[in-house]
Amino acid sequence: MITGKGITKTFRQRGGMLGAREVPALRGVDFSIEKGGAVSFIGESGCGKTTLGRILAGLESYDSGEIVIDGVPMSSLRPKQRQPHFRRVQLIHQDPYSALNPARTIHQTLDAPLTLRAKQTGRSRSWIDERAEELLGLVGLDPGYVLPRYPHQLSGGMRQRVVIARALTVDPDMLVADEATSMIDVSLRLGILGLLKDLRDRLGVSVLFITHDVATARYIGLDGELYVIYRGQVVERGPVETVISDPVHPYTQSLLSAIPVLHGLEVPGAERVVPTEAIDAAQPDAGCLFAARCPFRTERCTSELPVLGHDGGTLQEHACFHPQRRSVVATPAVAS
Amino acid sequence: MSVTSDKRAPGVRISDLSVVYRTGAGELPAVRGVDLELEPGTITGVVGESGSGKSTLALSMLNAVQPPGRIRSGSVEIDGLGDVVTLGGDDLRKTRGRHVGYVFQAAQNSLNPLKTVGKQLLDLGRSHDVDDLPGLVKEARSLLDRMGLDGARVLDSYQHELSGGMRQRVGIMLALVLNAHVVVLDEPTTALDMITQATILRIIREVHEERGLTTLVITHDLGVVAEIADRLAVMYGGRLVEQGPTREVLGAPKHPYTQGLLQAIPRLVGDIDEARALPGRPPTLGTIPPDGCVFRERCAVRMDVCETGEPPVLTIGPRVVACHTAAGDGEQKETVTTGPTRGEEQA
Repeated sequence: MITGKGITKTFRQRGGMLGAREVPALRGVDFSIEKGGAVSFIGESGCGKTTLGRILAGLESYDSGEIVIDGVPMSSLRPKQRQPHFRRVQLIHQDPYSALNPARTIHQTLDAPLTLRAKQTGRSRSWIDERAEELLGLVGLDPGYVLPRYPHQLSGGMRQRVVIARALTVDPDMLVADEATSMIDVSLRLGILGLLKDLRDRLGVSVLFITHDVATARYIGLDGELYVIYRGQVVERGPVETVISDPVHPYTQSLLSAIPVLHGLEVPGAERVVPTEAIDAAQPDAGCLFAARCPFRTERCTSELPVLGHDGGTLQEHACFHPQRRSVVATPAVAS
Repeated sequence: MSVTSDKRAPGVRISDLSVVYRTGAGELPAVRGVDLELEPGTITGVVGESGSGKSTLALSMLNAVQPPGRIRSGSVEIDGLGDVVTLGGDDLRKTRGRHVGYVFQAAQNSLNPLKTVGKQLLDLGRSHDVDDLPGLVKEARSLLDRMGLDGARVLDSYQHELSGGMRQRVGIMLALVLNAHVVVLDEPTTALDMITQATILRIIREVHEERGLTTLVITHDLGVVAEIADRLAVMYGGRLVEQGPTREVLGAPKHPYTQGLLQAIPRLVGDIDEARALPGRPPTLGTIPPDGCVFRERCAVRMDVCETGEPPVLTIGPRVVACHTAAGDGEQKETVTTGPTRGEEQA
C-alpha cells in the first residue's frame, strides 16, 4: 500500500525583470492506493497530475508532505535508502517509441534489467531467458516473434506492451501509467487498458492511471477510484462510476461535458455545463480555485477555500460549497 | 469580418485518387481509388488510424504530397478552380492559402519560433501579393477576436508565448485570412485537453457557418467527427471503406471495421464488457495486402471472396460502403455518387 499525505510542490520559474515566478503544482494532496488497487487522476494539462505521478515514482522531489510505502515513511530514510522503495513504483510513459532504445532488440531491452535482477536474487542465466519469455507472454505478446525485433518493427500497441513487460522485470508493486494509451491507435487502446486490469488481477500490481480521457479510467477496473485534480488540488474523489455518472463538482461536470458526444449512438446529457477555457494561473488565489471559471459561483466561493469532504451527504468527496448532481454525461440513444 | 454567403462555398470532388510512395520494395499505395465528394458548405470528417492514408489524402487537397510520394492518378476538382492535381508552379502556390486553407497540427509547432505571429502574417501576405497589408492585419485581428482571443496581443506574440489552444486558433486564422473557402484541418485537436478541444470544435463549427466554408477534418478520433461533421468517411489501409451522414453511420455502421472501431472506443456509459479491442494491428504501407479486402486480416465476418476479390463499392441512399458482406444491401455502381444529404438535417 502506498499513501501520500499533504504533498505540496512548487515550481520556480526564472522570471524576467520581475524576478522569479512561483507556480504551485500541488497544494497539499492526499493519496492512497491499496495493493492491486486502481486510482486514476484526471484533469487538464498543467493541473499537476503528471507531477504527482513522478513524485510517487521517486523521479521528482516534493516540498512538504509524506509518502509512506508499505508502512515505511520516506522522510525517515536517506535518499540512497529510498531508492529500492521507489523502484517498486515503475513509470510507463505516453510515447512507447521514445521509451525504448531504437538500437536494441527487445531481447536486449529486457535482458539488462533481468540480469540485474538475477544477480540480486542469485539466479542463473537460464532464468533470465525464461523470465523474459514469461513476461512477454504475460503482456500478451508472442516471445518468438517479438524478442529478436527492434522497436520500429512493432506496432504502437506492441511497443507499449514491451514497455510494460520491461517495467515488470523488477517485480514492481505499482505501475504509474501516464497517458499510456493516448498515442495508441483507437482500435488497440482497449487492449492496453485490459492488460493493465489483467495485471492487477493476476499479479496484484496496483495501477495509477493518469489521463485526460476520462472514459479510459473505467476500463482498468470499475472498483477503482477517480481523483479529479484542478490546479494542484483534488476537487472531487470517489469510486469511478460514481464520479462519472453523478459528478457534484462543477469542474468535474465541465470536464465530462466537454467529451464529444457520439451523435447517433448517444444523446447529450440534459444539464451539460458549457465549459470555459483555462484562465492564466497567475490570478489571486483567494477562495475556490475554480471560482473564476465556475458558472455557479456565489460570493462565498470567492473568499473562502472549500476543502475535500462529504458535505451534502455525497458518496464521493468533493471540494465545493454547492455540490449538486447534474446529468452531464451522454446516455445511449434508444435504438430506433 | 467579410461578407459571407453559402453560395461562395465551393464543392470539392475527389475522384479515383491514388497516391503512391516510392520505397525499396517498389511504389506502394498509401491512398488507393478514393472517391469523396465534399458538398458545398458542409463539414466532412475523415477518420482513420495510423497508416490509413488520411494525412496523405489531406495533402492531396493541396497537391502537396512530397517525394518520395506522388499522386499517381485521379483528380481533385474544386469549383471555380479546376483540378488541383494538374496545377503547378505559381498557380499552385497561389491556390494554397487563397483558395484552400490548411490548418496543421498545433502539436507539430507549425509556426516559426523566431518570428512573431504578425510577422508571419505579413510574410504570408507578401508571398500572395496582397496590396493592402494593413487590411490583412485588420482582418487577422478581427478573426482572432472572433475566436475569443486578444487579436492585437496575439499578433505581437511568439509561438512559445501561446498555449496549445491559442496556437491552434492562430493556425485557423492563417488558413482563413486570405479568404479561402475550402479549409482542411489536420488533427485539429490532437494534444489539446478536453475543455480546450470542446472550445476549438465549437469555433470551427461557428466559423465554418459564418464564412460559408467547405471543410474537411482529418482525425483519428471518432468523437471529434461525431461532434462537428455532417458527413463521415472512414479510411483503412488507404481505402475509403465507408461514408455517409455522421449520425447514420455512427447509429448503424455497415462496414465491419466501422463496427469494430465503435466497439473499441472507451465510453463513459454502458457495459464495459461489451467493448473490445480489434484483433490484430492496422496495416502499414508495406503490409497492405495488394489484392482483396484490406481489412480481412482483422475482420470477424471474413469470407473466401475477401482474399482475392476487390470489395464492391455499394451506394445505399446517401451512404457508401465497400464490403463483400454488404453486397445485396444496395445497388452496385462503378462510380460513387453521394446524395445532397447533411447529417444535421437528418437528426
